[in-house]
Amino acid sequence: MTDRNGPRDSKSSDLVQGTLEMLILKTLAMEPMHGYGVGLRIEQISGGVFKVNAGSLLPALSRMERAGDVKSEWRATENNRRAKYYLLTAKGRRALSAETEQWQRQIDAIARILEA
Amino acid sequence: MSWFANIAKGIASLFQRQRVERELDEELQGYFEASAAHKQRNGMTGEEARRAASVELGSRNSVKHQVWSSRWESIVDGIMQDLRVSVRMLAKSPGFTTVALLSLALGIGGNTAIFTLINQVLLRNLPVRDPQQLVAFGSSVFGGVAGGISLGDFGGYFPWDFTREMEANPGPFQGIAAYGSFSNQVSIRRLAGGASDANSPAMLAPANLVSGNYFSVLGAQPLLGRTIGPLDDAIPGSGAVVVLSYHFWQQSLSSDPHIVGKSISINGAPFEVVGVMPQGFHGIKQELEPTELWTPISMQSAVLQQASMLTPYSGLYFLHLFGRLSAGAAAHKSELAQSQSWLNQQVRNGIREREGENLSADRQLEISRVNVPLVPAARGVSMIRSQYGDSLKTLMIVVVLVLLIACANLANFLLSRAATRRQEILTRLALGSSRMRIVRQGLIETFLLSLIGGLMGLVIAFMATRALLAFVGRGNAYTAMSPAPNLGVLLFTLGVSLFTGILFGLAPSISAARLESRGTLSAGTRTVQSNGGKTARFWPKALVIVQVTLSLVLLVVAGLFLRTLRNLQDQDYGFERTHLLLADIGEHLAGYAPYQVAALHQALLDRLSAIPGVRSAALSATPPISGGAWTSNISLSGYTPGPKENMVSILNRVSGQYFETAGISIVAGRAISPADTANSLKVTVVNQTLALKYFPKGDAIGRQLTIGIDSVKGPWQIVGIARDTRSGDPRDTDPVRMTYIPLSQIDPFLPVNAAAPSANGKAIKPVPRLENEDCYAHTILIRTSNDPAKTITDLRNTVAAVDPNLPLLQITTIQDQVSNLISHDELISTLTGVFSLLALLLAAIGLYGVMSYNVIRRTNEIGIRLALGAQSGNVLRMIMRESFVLLAIGIALGLPLAILATRVIKQQLFAIDAIDPTSFAAALLVVSLMTLIAGWLPARRAAKVDPVTALRCE
Repeated sequence: MTDRNGPRDSKSSDLVQGTLEMLILKTLAMEPMHGYGVGLRIEQISGGVFKVNAGSLLPALSRMERAGDVKSEWRATENNRRAKYYLLTAKGRRALSAETEQWQRQIDAIARILEA
Repeated sequence: MSWFANIAKGIASLFQRQRVERELDEELQGYFEASAAHKQRNGMTGEEARRAASVELGSRNSVKHQVWSSRWESIVDGIMQDLRVSVRMLAKSPGFTTVALLSLALGIGGNTAIFTLINQVLLRNLPVRDPQQLVAFGSSVFGGVAGGISLGDFGGYFPWDFTREMEANPGPFQGIAAYGSFSNQVSIRRLAGGASDANSPAMLAPANLVSGNYFSVLGAQPLLGRTIGPLDDAIPGSGAVVVLSYHFWQQSLSSDPHIVGKSISINGAPFEVVGVMPQGFHGIKQELEPTELWTPISMQSAVLQQASMLTPYSGLYFLHLFGRLSAGAAAHKSELAQSQSWLNQQVRNGIREREGENLSADRQLEISRVNVPLVPAARGVSMIRSQYGDSLKTLMIVVVLVLLIACANLANFLLSRAATRRQEILTRLALGSSRMRIVRQGLIETFLLSLIGGLMGLVIAFMATRALLAFVGRGNAYTAMSPAPNLGVLLFTLGVSLFTGILFGLAPSISAARLESRGTLSAGTRTVQSNGGKTARFWPKALVIVQVTLSLVLLVVAGLFLRTLRNLQDQDYGFERTHLLLADIGEHLAGYAPYQVAALHQALLDRLSAIPGVRSAALSATPPISGGAWTSNISLSGYTPGPKENMVSILNRVSGQYFETAGISIVAGRAISPADTANSLKVTVVNQTLALKYFPKGDAIGRQLTIGIDSVKGPWQIVGIARDTRSGDPRDTDPVRMTYIPLSQIDPFLPVNAAAPSANGKAIKPVPRLENEDCYAHTILIRTSNDPAKTITDLRNTVAAVDPNLPLLQITTIQDQVSNLISHDELISTLTGVFSLLALLLAAIGLYGVMSYNVIRRTNEIGIRLALGAQSGNVLRMIMRESFVLLAIGIALGLPLAILATRVIKQQLFAIDAIDPTSFAAALLVVSLMTLIAGWLPARRAAKVDPVTALRCE
């Protein structure tokens, strides 16, 4: 996902096309989260390499909700504000394992090519 | 079912945009707060954290837009938006919109109207099983011969005994059936309790005689009861059953559900109703006035009210045949050819059988060449089809051309508008709108126009079709055709609308999409591009040239048809065509026996002549000109015909004063007069053609003429020669032979068969003499001194005073009678005239628009020229030169095209060359005038441009 709208950190790099949704699925697999939390979690776990802004994150979540991979509900946040929380559905869980598996295969293949 | 949930959610969010918007706002607010809180926890102050979070989030509207576009409904929403914009744009320029919609509505309406007719006349299959297997034998559809002439080669009409053989032995066909060539009006009464109810009104409806296997070969199932079967038609004179059409059952018998088994009276004889056919079934004959009743051929005598024609070797050819091909023959050419040659063999054998053993070698050869073609009859056989088919096809081409001209106009309008909207489009492109979106908006606008135009076109088409059917139907109360569009017509209109949308929307959209976004935003730049560039200037001109070309072709065609009509109307008919009123009477239907009509005729003539304003009155079998004719072979004393020489003459039986009343002048001898009575010498008048053909030396008067029909055999002495007249098809310029005999001299009884009385001189038993049907008059003629239409009421009153039961079936002036016979010429010439004027108007609007736009575009340039000292005359010439060039190219292309077009319509013209100089000159003149006027108006405006204003503007 290229982010056209947000300011760029010099250390951050673009996500490989199509991987954002997988990362979101993975993040939500741990626990239900609101939009900002998902972005923050991805940034933290990647050690700041991936920075996802609202302009790409929210459309991705909206798309995934439509596809039925995630569902949303309004909950209170830790500081007692209302926020939209996203939860993984059973379909989303299957999608995650399928995508992870495919991703792993591609990584392995690329690694073999690079090592050759 | 996630896609289903997806669609449901999408539709829900389309209808609840505000809620969706609110939720998004709330989510973004939450996002923002979470982000700020996080930053605050990491050590920023509240103010700093909020600012940083705000920067990170960026434009909230942009994020919202991105979320919105990630869903499919955003496309729908965008289209709705474009639609709203389009409606606003169209409403903003009402002039353009009105002209566009009107020209589209007229163009599409014309197409739909003609297609509605074509669909019904030419395209619709019979509602029967496997209609594509049906074939008619020969292409004759109407008429038939009931007189004593030998048709020899059958030619599509068949005698009864031959059809019976074919029905019994259909050879390679699945079945062969026969039906009567005449569809005659019969008088019908409901029967109350078995007896004819004299008080119930008589209804007239067309009936058709059909063979016993007619319905089974046709493959038609009844709605109620049964159809006519072979047993009904087995024995001549028996089988008094009738099958009704849905319309007749509904309208005249109020959909009586128990009608089957009841009886109705047809021409006074009881017939049992055995079945009702479903709606939409009108038999194999597809005519404007559809058949309402079917009776077995065996009942011919009662239905036609004529002596029996059902005898072998009668020489009466009054039936048509059709067959159902085997499945193989319907699919394969070779098997079809076998069926064809089998049929020809049967017909040749039939002719040989009827002409006897001793045939000359020439005749043998002729017979061996007889060919009765199998004509596809999936859509039935139809006289309107052969009458109007060509006209309708020509008209379809004409309306397509009109539509093309309308499309060219709209394309031009949109092109010039796209040019004026250049700035707006460039701004939108610069602001990040996608090219796709801009093209889409343009296309939506054109489709909006074309679909609204199509809808209006449907309304116009409905009204136009109704008017056309009223014209074609000549005031028939009920026709099988309807102006209401069916699914096919609706699809056709939708298709035409979309097609026109694409056609006129394409060029402007492409030109909009090609716009370069760089460097042209500055106001009033006078670059090549802001003037439209070479291609942008090429298209409007090309379209105008197309319009000029097509208008020229249409005008030439219209001119040719108008002149054809004029020639048909103005030709010498041989009788007076003014001040003559015709009325059909039904003596037979009123129950007069032949021996009673002489007194009736005398009473009628006396009373009619006494009407004020009537110069003379007469009675005859047929009017001076009509679609049908009474014909027979004749023989003449002093003339020996060659072998197989055509001795046919058209006959008419007339009262005294007929020639005076009809205005047919007598060139030699005397006319038939009231003094020629039953007791005086039997006289006849022949026309010039007949006299000249058989007596070229001019000694026809005084000869004896014998007619080949027993009832009026003669001999008649020729006492006068009348002028030639057109008696049938006005296009038929070959002079016909006519024989007139006095009504009053026709014996009301048939002659006793000469062979019947015993030859040995014994006393002859009195045999009841058969009545002679050939002494009825069917037509009243009245010559008036004023407008004949004003005498109609007097005529009705007078006839009612003689006998209130005598039906007056139809009253027309002779002009109407003639125009009935050339109705398709009137139709096509009127319509092509109207359409070509419409095309001309559209082309003029188009040309005017393009030239005006050119002038506006060049206002600057003209201003500079004028400021530098150009005379306004120079400017005028400069602009006019452009129109001249377009006109010249248009004519150069149009003339050859028009010559090509005339080849196609050559068959439909009458008495003019296809390359008629008058029509071509008129068309050229009109097109040139149109071009020059449409070009002159803007040019004059250009010449009056004030240089100061011109240089200031922009």
